[in-house]
Amino acid sequence: MKKNLRWKAILVLAVIALSLFLSFPPDKKIQLGLDLRGGVHLVLQVMTDDALNRETDQVIIRLQEEMDKELITYEVMSKDENRVGKFTIQQFESGKEGQIRDLIDEFVERDWDLSILGSDATLVMKQNLILYLRDQAVRQTEETIWNRVDELGLTEPTIQRQGGFTGDRIIVELPGVENSERVRNIISKTAILEWKLVKAAADDVETLLTEFGGEVPADMEILEGDPEKAERRYYLLNRVAEVTGKDLRMARRSTDDYNNPVVLFTLSPDGSKRFHKTTQDNVGRQLAIVLDDKVQSAPVIEDVIPTGSGRISGRYTMEEADDLSLVLRAGAMPASIKYLEQRTIGPSLGKDSISKGFFAIIAALLMVLVFMGVYYKRTGFNAIAALILNILILMGALAYFKASLTLPGIAGIILVIGMSVDANVLVFERIREELSQGKSIKSSISSGFSRAFRTILDANMTTIIAAIFLFQFGTGPLRGFAVTLIIGISASMFTALFVSRLIFDVFVTNGKKREKLSI
Amino acid sequence: MRYKLFAFGLSGIFIAAGILNMTVGKKITPGIDFAGGALIQIRFIRPISISELRQSLNVRDLESTKIQEVEKEQREYIIRAMLPEEEAEQELETHAIMAEKIVDLLRSDQDRQAAQSGLKDLNNIDISEIIRLLEPSFPNEAINIAQYVFDTKENDTQKGIIENFDQLPVEDIGPEALELLKEKTFLGSLSIKRRETVGPQVGSDLRRRATLATVWALVGMLVYIGIRFKFAYGVAAIFTLAHDVIITMGIFSFTNREVNLPVIAAILTIVGYSLNDTIVIFDRVRDNIKLLRKHDLSQILDTSINQTLSRTVITSGTTFVTVVALFIFGGTVINDFAFTMMIGVVIGTYSSIYQSCSLLYFWNKIFKPKKGLGK
Repeated sequence: MKKNLRWKAILVLAVIALSLFLSFPPDKKIQLGLDLRGGVHLVLQVMTDDALNRETDQVIIRLQEEMDKELITYEVMSKDENRVGKFTIQQFESGKEGQIRDLIDEFVERDWDLSILGSDATLVMKQNLILYLRDQAVRQTEETIWNRVDELGLTEPTIQRQGGFTGDRIIVELPGVENSERVRNIISKTAILEWKLVKAAADDVETLLTEFGGEVPADMEILEGDPEKAERRYYLLNRVAEVTGKDLRMARRSTDDYNNPVVLFTLSPDGSKRFHKTTQDNVGRQLAIVLDDKVQSAPVIEDVIPTGSGRISGRYTMEEADDLSLVLRAGAMPASIKYLEQRTIGPSLGKDSISKGFFAIIAALLMVLVFMGVYYKRTGFNAIAALILNILILMGALAYFKASLTLPGIAGIILVIGMSVDANVLVFERIREELSQGKSIKSSISSGFSRAFRTILDANMTTIIAAIFLFQFGTGPLRGFAVTLIIGISASMFTALFVSRLIFDVFVTNGKKREKLSI
Repeated sequence: MRYKLFAFGLSGIFIAAGILNMTVGKKITPGIDFAGGALIQIRFIRPISISELRQSLNVRDLESTKIQEVEKEQREYIIRAMLPEEEAEQELETHAIMAEKIVDLLRSDQDRQAAQSGLKDLNNIDISEIIRLLEPSFPNEAINIAQYVFDTKENDTQKGIIENFDQLPVEDIGPEALELLKEKTFLGSLSIKRRETVGPQVGSDLRRRATLATVWALVGMLVYIGIRFKFAYGVAAIFTLAHDVIITMGIFSFTNREVNLPVIAAILTIVGYSLNDTIVIFDRVRDNIKLLRKHDLSQILDTSINQTLSRTVITSGTTFVTVVALFIFGGTVINDFAFTMMIGVVIGTYSSIYQSCSLLYFWNKIFKPKKGLGK
């Protein structure tokens, strides 16, 4: 029996030590939720239909070019008004059905379903492309927001997609920021990305301007190469950009036929038309890609690009190609954003909540402790010890899981204080009953615990079930509450059944035979 | 058990009153979490009464704004921008604009002039902006100075608003920095402590989730009890719980409070917690049915309740006491939650003692289950 006790005591001590270690010092180890720290909380929805529409537009342009090439006439290619990702080639030239099928096979890849009714050909985007585009739109938006928020140089921003793979909502949490307008503006702005035609390039300004009599022509400007991305050269560029970031829809790293890294990009229909014209008129010249007035790269236009999709090739490593696509994407918002929720908590309110919360916890704790001490006399000490251990374990768990402490979380702690007493009371009442029936101290304690066990389990289980559902369906701060409840109540079962029992056992086996139990 | 009819009657009145009020009467006011809208908590530099506030906001479109005072010092208020009924489903932007309008109306003229001349409002500023202001003149100490200013502004005495420049700690920040701040900033007449704007999608989303959570939780309970006890107990328990929820909501509807997410959380917690008491009693009943075979059900139920009475009262007492602590000391933000919990705990205990067993009794009488209620 004594050996048993020793192991149990060691276990309890280990738990105490672990909890203390995990949660001290509290200001560093325990994360505070936004409602206690102050900051901005935004929930926005990515309108992924935009992305689908743009892809449809691209495909339509492509097809139009090809049909024109093959001299197939049609009345109009129109998008379906009621459904994204669907369009119809109406009234195409009769007898050209076979050609049309071939064209579609060749150019539109296998992501569209074709159905022909009379002389109308309808194309519908396949599910996998739809899912892919929607997902991409959200990811890209998430990434762009990250980049933008990075500029603010904030401590620990949180940017999270809600809803798993098919979710289209993003939660942005910025502790310490008070101005949500500014945040919204930064997130929605477009970094200035421009494609400008290069007139000349040189290593210094004088050489650059020798052809022009040492002066910058009126419709041109000099921009420097970005030292990290391009060589430190000077470029004489057309002032007016041919295409800008507003026209960019997608950019990603890929490889060309020789397995060299390249960057593929796609433009909007409008941008595509302009790009087409620019490349058509300027084969052989350099087209500089300028981000925020610094030249990123200036590839040579190798051939006409009719489709608004381009390829930027050059001596890029995989990493450079990645970086370049990141830069290009950083300037591009693939879809529009709708704000669903906007909350700003000032830091003084946060501090206020913290101090009030803790005051309430202490008040609650004191009341319960005093009561337990008075009503159950010395045995009440058991409950007090259990309660304090409870709170320690709770803190340790919160720190370990890196869960944020929120105001509802504090409320949860207070509730746990009240509820955890329950388990102890159940046991003590049973013990009292057994004692009043004349049983010995040892057996009263023993049956008290075993009888109470089932009841404690059942009763606390229901609160835990409720908390689990709350966790499932709740958001943010409420989840903190649910977590606190679940951990707190589980801990209280542990302390009431195991620790309290241990204290009793130690008391009982300690030397002389006890006559009375102070309960 | 003698009291069962009386208890039923009493509950019946409460339930009827509650349901009537919720449907036809005052109705339950949804907070912005469920209905969408805008909410601002503002602290004023000088005391201002509610009537003065209403006067300032007595403009077209803003008549139905709700104002609630925080902490009776006439300096801090929670203002809820309410759109006229027909336009309730507006997008977030509309609510945000309304909130802006309100803040603008409440600002003093001096504020507006100062802002127009390029000064920054020290009472509504990020710490990073303070740093930016100070950096040119104090490149090395800007961050420290800004921290002092910020901490002073946000401490417990100032609570987010500085009334005059003397309140800034001259010893810590230095007289030159103080002069610079006096030059480049003004002390706004109000400080926005909290601003929340919610669009309609979130509201409908939340309503759906809250309902699902409650329904599934109840189902979960039913299943759990059905397994651990017998079906009859499960039904009695569910009715007891439903009774708790309805009465709590009913009482809630008589107050001026709004239903927000924390309130729903409180209700779910009450559902779980009230079941606690009920289960303890049922547990006794189950035991006693085995032990006291000779007694009839009514006596068994009574005995069980009496045996567990002290325990029930104590635990509900301690929980109640802790929730009261939260209600009194916890501050405005968590107050609705605490209030709901308080009602819930009381009703829950009452129902566990008086209702749950009565329901068992009636079930037994009406349905006469074969094996009785033992297990």
